[in-house]
Amino acid sequence: MLLTDEEWTVVALSARVALVSLVAMAVPGIALGWVLARRSFPGKIVVDTAVHLPLVLPPVVTGYLLLLLLGHGSAFGRWLEALGLGIAFTWRGAAVAAAVMAFPLLVRSVRLAIELVDPRLEDAVRTLGAGPLRTFATVTLPLAAPGVLAGLVVSFARGLGEFGATMTLAGNIPGQSRTLPVAIYAYSQTAHGEAEVMRLLLISLTVSILALLASELLTRRMRARSAR
Amino acid sequence: MTLAVDIQARRGTFSLTAAVTTAGGVTGVFGPSGSGKSTLLHAVTGLVRANTGTITLDGETLFDATAGISVPAHRRRIAAVFQDGRLLPHYTVAGNLRYGERLLHASERRIGFDEVVQLLELGALLERRVRGLSGGEAQRVALGRALLCSPRLLVLDEPLAALDDRLKAQIMAFLRAIRDRLEMPMLYVSHDLSEILQLTDRLALMERGRVLGQGRVLELARDPALQSLLQRHGLANVLPIVVARSDADGTLLTLASAGAERTEALHGPRSELAIGSRGSLTIDPRHIALATQRVAGISMRNQLRGRVVSVSATGNGSLVVVDVGVPLLCEVGQAAIAELGISAGVETWCLFKAQAIRLM
Repeated sequence: MLLTDEEWTVVALSARVALVSLVAMAVPGIALGWVLARRSFPGKIVVDTAVHLPLVLPPVVTGYLLLLLLGHGSAFGRWLEALGLGIAFTWRGAAVAAAVMAFPLLVRSVRLAIELVDPRLEDAVRTLGAGPLRTFATVTLPLAAPGVLAGLVVSFARGLGEFGATMTLAGNIPGQSRTLPVAIYAYSQTAHGEAEVMRLLLISLTVSILALLASELLTRRMRARSAR
Repeated sequence: MTLAVDIQARRGTFSLTAAVTTAGGVTGVFGPSGSGKSTLLHAVTGLVRANTGTITLDGETLFDATAGISVPAHRRRIAAVFQDGRLLPHYTVAGNLRYGERLLHASERRIGFDEVVQLLELGALLERRVRGLSGGEAQRVALGRALLCSPRLLVLDEPLAALDDRLKAQIMAFLRAIRDRLEMPMLYVSHDLSEILQLTDRLALMERGRVLGQGRVLELARDPALQSLLQRHGLANVLPIVVARSDADGTLLTLASAGAERTEALHGPRSELAIGSRGSLTIDPRHIALATQRVAGISMRNQLRGRVVSVSATGNGSLVVVDVGVPLLCEVGQAAIAELGISAGVETWCLFKAQAIRLM
């Protein structure tokens, strides 16, 4: 399929934004999923609710809250800008928006996957001399791996498709925040943009279907593994 | 190895109060389900944290509620074997075996890989995946994995409960080998008293979250407060034997205990045990009759002469300990005791059928 330079820029930017958001949320997402699966502490329900909030809030609201928090209007935002790491209306903003919106999906998958791992196996290896980190790395994570990978795939795809929060926090700037969905929307608003829309739409569709398939296969493996 | 436990633990509505000390060898922790023996064992491993009290192992404080000390499970060097094996499904048998061994410094490894593989006959299983193992195989791997941690103490939580009788006997033979050849101190938890007695006669007796008594089974059996609990849960004589002869009619056995004065031949039921092999016979105290002299013209083929050590009344009879070279526990009606004039010091004969013997 032949794309114009402009369309290539859109695809490359989308990939970069989704990848950066994935890398940024992987460790905290897995850690939080583990905490929610294995630990009980006062205020757990508050953490749980806060993590899942972006799932139910209108994306525009999430984007606007992020703008208030990280934009030029806040001290933190101005500090980041001074460091050359400005968030609002940059590609970093697009990555932040993608990460925040996909984070609950990742945490949920990781949590479910870890809950399926028999905690008695973890107890057993503790008596064999494995500390908490080693127990996690050699027992919990490998056994939860298919579910964790499925979560990473789905949140990558979700990041790729982020629109509302991205538009609000990062705008529609070519090369900075004009990701696939933003571009599709923009082209659909212009006269004679149908061909561009169709090409980008096809890419979006393919990536999404592949991600869902991969996640489904990984989830099945997870179930088969915990059934034995 | 000296383990001293004196703890209280509350789990929901259940509360455990336990004071137990052991000094090497195998100590059985016996009690009906729900008596708190698993909680006690988990507190010893560090997987459960007691609320108050202390736990020390060879002078090292593992837990002290007042001082705020609780050594985490992975630093206690107390390895556990559970009822359900708990092998790691993503490792091979060899991987499971080496899991704990790899975490030790070379200087801490007292038990070698080859030694364990040989002792537990694991050679043919090493490359297998865990998924395809039978229950008995899995339990052997779990034992090996725990031993390879060179633990200071091995704790076993109902390790035979999920196995059928044939496999129980097989694993029991391995447990005896671990006890005798590796001299591994063990804390052995079970709700089956006769199973514990296959391995040790030193017991801690638990019921409803309390330790009712601790000591040798014959001493405990003389305590009127403990008798009924013991009798309800498989109080039995367990004697080490050597198979002298074996044919279609049955087996001829000799007692193998060091203290036996005579090597009297015993008639046992048919068995698959090979001639010359060591094992144990189990006989229910209720299946032993007493007589003042040898009885002729009777189908009971086993008649052992001994001297009465003690007589204690129980709810519905008397428990009599007779020294026949080894102490033998017999349960007889109180009327019979009076009629035969059985009391401490009196000579008596213990009679039982070949079929009353269970061989393992």
